[in-house]
Amino acid sequence: MATSSSPPQSDTEVVAERRGIPAASFVKDVQAYLDQLGLDVNSTLAFQQERLQQYKIVEMKLLAQQRDLQAKIPDIEKCLDVVATLQAKKGTDEALLTDFEVSEGIYSRARIENADSVCLWLGANVMLEYSCEEATSLLQKNLENAKASLEVLVADLQFLRDQVTITQVTIARVYNWDVHQRRVRQASSSQD
Amino acid sequence: MQQAGGGSETEVTWEDQQNINKFGRLNNRYHELEDEIRIAKNFEDASNELILTDEEVVRFQIGEVFAHVPKDEVEMRIEQMTETTTKHLEKLKDEKDAVVAQMADLKKVLYAKFKDSINLEED
Repeated sequence: MATSSSPPQSDTEVVAERRGIPAASFVKDVQAYLDQLGLDVNSTLAFQQERLQQYKIVEMKLLAQQRDLQAKIPDIEKCLDVVATLQAKKGTDEALLTDFEVSEGIYSRARIENADSVCLWLGANVMLEYSCEEATSLLQKNLENAKASLEVLVADLQFLRDQVTITQVTIARVYNWDVHQRRVRQASSSQD
Repeated sequence: MQQAGGGSETEVTWEDQQNINKFGRLNNRYHELEDEIRIAKNFEDASNELILTDEEVVRFQIGEVFAHVPKDEVEMRIEQMTETTTKHLEKLKDEKDAVVAQMADLKKVLYAKFKDSINLEED
């Protein structure tokens, strides 16, 4: 993504960029902004529109990542639930009867007796056996990481949406300024 | 949210921009909350159904498997889950009310300054 050529013109509390996303510079005065860029109105509008498109692309990517994480978190919680159930049953002497899916629409019955260990799917065709306690702590850690990542992602999206809003407002202002300038020119030329 | 313009020269300060940004964020959050509330409501309906069965052992879904669980334990679990979901639903509804209130305030401020130059309604 192209880096910003003009520094942010507003207060120092604004960040210049966040995790690779450049901030949209806020325009205090349209005339001054155009002078600083050294471009005419149409080029400026084109530049801002291009920026907007780039922001939209990044937004799509972040939204996809957010959807993935939001699907992963309930999965991990379900796994924790299963391990907890197995651990609870370990105390009693009864076996756990479950119906599980063998193939789509086909279920089979399993009898699980005194589960000391569980196998966890780690991804990349790898499955490891853990004791119930280890499995619980590993799943818990994964859950916390996923939740933390989601928080950071949501903050990134908010920052991105702010930049999109600023850019949209800037486009509208530059356009309005141009319309105003044309009116003023027309008014003064018709007076001559 | 769209910015309409008639060629006016209204100044947009950084504070205005921040208000507009905040309104945008609140609007997004409002839609997210609406979706979450809809999903949470579905779950409440489902758990009500279960109380009507009269078999001794119920196949209760834990994770990806259906475990055979005695009806009493199932009832207890469902009760716990319903309680958690109801609390969650309450929290979501409260947040939604707060968001709507803040949005109304911001609308007042922004319309006061920009009048027709800004459009803050849903399209």
